Amino acid sequence: MRKLNKKLFSILSIVMLLLLAACGGGNTTTESNSNTGEDGVLSAKFGVISYLTGAGAAYGEAITNGLKLAQQDINALGEVNIELVIEDSAGKADQALNAAQKIMSDDSITAIIGPTLSTEFFAVAPEVDLNGIPILGTSTTVDGIPEIGDYVFRNAVPESLAIPAAIEKAVERTGATKVAMIYGNDDALTKGGFEVMERTAKEMGLEITTIETYQEGQSDYNAQLTKIKNTNPDLILASALYNEGAVIMDQARKMGIEIPFVGGNGFNSPQAIEIAGDAANGLIVATPYFGESSDPKIVEFNEKYEKEFGKKPDQFAAQAYDALFIYADALKRAGSSDREAFRESLAETKDLEGILGKFSFDEVGDVIMDVTVLEIKDGKFIEFE
Amino acid sequence: MLGEILNTYYLQIGSFILINIMLAISVYVPLSSGQLSLGSAGFMGVGAYTSALLTIHFDLPIFVGVIAGALAASILGVIVGIPSLRLSGVYLAIATLGLGEVIRVIFVNWDSLTKGSVGLTGIPQLGREILEFSRGLGFEPAMIGIRNNQFVFLSIFLVLLILVIAILWFVIRQQNSRVGRALQSINMDDRAAESMGINITHYKVVAFTQGAFFAGLAGALFAHVIGYISPADFSYHRAVEVLIFTVFGGSEVIIGSVFGAFFLTLMPEVLRFVSEFRYIIYGILLVVLMAVRPQGILDANLLKKFKFKRSKGGVR
Repeated sequence: MRKLNKKLFSILSIVMLLLLAACGGGNTTTESNSNTGEDGVLSAKFGVISYLTGAGAAYGEAITNGLKLAQQDINALGEVNIELVIEDSAGKADQALNAAQKIMSDDSITAIIGPTLSTEFFAVAPEVDLNGIPILGTSTTVDGIPEIGDYVFRNAVPESLAIPAAIEKAVERTGATKVAMIYGNDDALTKGGFEVMERTAKEMGLEITTIETYQEGQSDYNAQLTKIKNTNPDLILASALYNEGAVIMDQARKMGIEIPFVGGNGFNSPQAIEIAGDAANGLIVATPYFGESSDPKIVEFNEKYEKEFGKKPDQFAAQAYDALFIYADALKRAGSSDREAFRESLAETKDLEGILGKFSFDEVGDVIMDVTVLEIKDGKFIEFE
Repeated sequence: MLGEILNTYYLQIGSFILINIMLAISVYVPLSSGQLSLGSAGFMGVGAYTSALLTIHFDLPIFVGVIAGALAASILGVIVGIPSLRLSGVYLAIATLGLGEVIRVIFVNWDSLTKGSVGLTGIPQLGREILEFSRGLGFEPAMIGIRNNQFVFLSIFLVLLILVIAILWFVIRQQNSRVGRALQSINMDDRAAESMGINITHYKVVAFTQGAFFAGLAGALFAHVIGYISPADFSYHRAVEVLIFTVFGGSEVIIGSVFGAFFLTLMPEVLRFVSEFRYIIYGILLVVLMAVRPQGILDANLLKKFKFKRSKGGVR
């Protein structure tokens, strides 16, 4: 027993020493706030808060990859020099806030990108805003994000822009008058999407036959789908993430429901086709990013990304890529890495040509851009006519 | 001078450590009477939502909201505690885990009140309210040479520190009192305790309710520190995390809970430099610990040794 304790003490003391060493390393980050590098190029440091460990780490990885790729391209152009400080939020609001505090304690940070989830963003943004640091959300689609403060922006296409576009096009073609709705009610993204769907349907005078809910990770949707089938709708509005949405479509098709589905931002993924196969045909989504597009800018981006990271980019990577270009552009126009000047020029961003198209901020800092409506036909995303 | 030492990032981590210590104690107290409760996340959520809703909609001062939140959680603790006392061991653990999930699902579905999974925004922040209050008294943070946001986080940290010290004092006093001895005897053998004339139902409910109270208090403070809550903050992940604090540090002594919460909250932050690998290291550490020291890092034997080396007395 005593021997064991001795051993344990030595292990413990080593752990403690490691801790101390790590603490020591963290304190050496105070540097002078220089605007220009050695060769006279305007340089700035941006903080990134991203979901890198945990269940949703795939999103954070896509975003940081997109940012890293953009950083390479921007620095290669040589007009400005950007440094990224990337911190993990683990998908938790308190961890995201810690990461933000860590980034903010460095006075040479000009602005922040992230965090990934809307639930993290709501905790972080007010604090960052009070400290007078610009913050940009690249994947936060819930209502009410840019309204948090003057320093809060986003380039993620909110559900309130994407979903109405998709519903309008779908109704136009199918002439639907009755819609059924299904959504995941324990996730901020799908819940936010549902609210927009309901509002849009009411505004367009569509009759809502039934509203069904499911929980995250559910695998059997037959009860909800049977109810939906009995009400005989013309269209199903499904605010779901792709992994659950694909299963819903699969089970619906097996049950003989052949009508089209309209989805939100979270449903827009090639993964949906992989999971549901032929059953995914007839899904209509609106997105700023169309991976199969023949637009040379997107083709080039896809190639570069695949070469660098060995997999195809998704919407989140593309939005993050554009986000850093928005920052670089604002930095160029501001002419200094001063936070106040940077915010001013960021707010004035107008018709910036990104890979996703022309981009502007409105007066509260929300995104103005065109979205493309896509549908899945014969196992492929194509543009919806 | 003072302004340079106080880094808001460190103060923020310090605040989360203190909140997690409260949560760890909320598991420790029922555990010291042999009840394994996994409901801490649920009680925390009740405290957080009660306080947040009261302060948002009725403009109540934060301290009233926090007390109301803690009381709401402890009332729920009594209501749930009495029937669950028929259960013990893993059965109680499952029942309380279920309770936590039920509470979370209520938050998700009670849309009109809780805004569902999107969560509550605009919760008054504890530090900023203190700043405004002290400004009303004619005090400016600049007078002692610190910036406003340093003052905000310093005040949060100090309030939490005082509360944690008060809770620790209370629990340690209780342990050395008649109540504590009763709880200990129930923990050892509840039949024997009953035959000695100890009212086990009463004491078990007391311990369970105290746990609920501390969890509710921690939850309410969490809401006012972070300024935004959503049901995702109170999922069973949180309950398990809190249980790990207590088990890691050593569930036999209260100082173990404190140490566990301190160490396991600090570690992910210290390990930030290895970014993606930090939770892998966290996991490996837990596996190693459970293999070599299942009773947790600190236990009564270890503390006894320290006592020999120092003078008598020491902490329990």
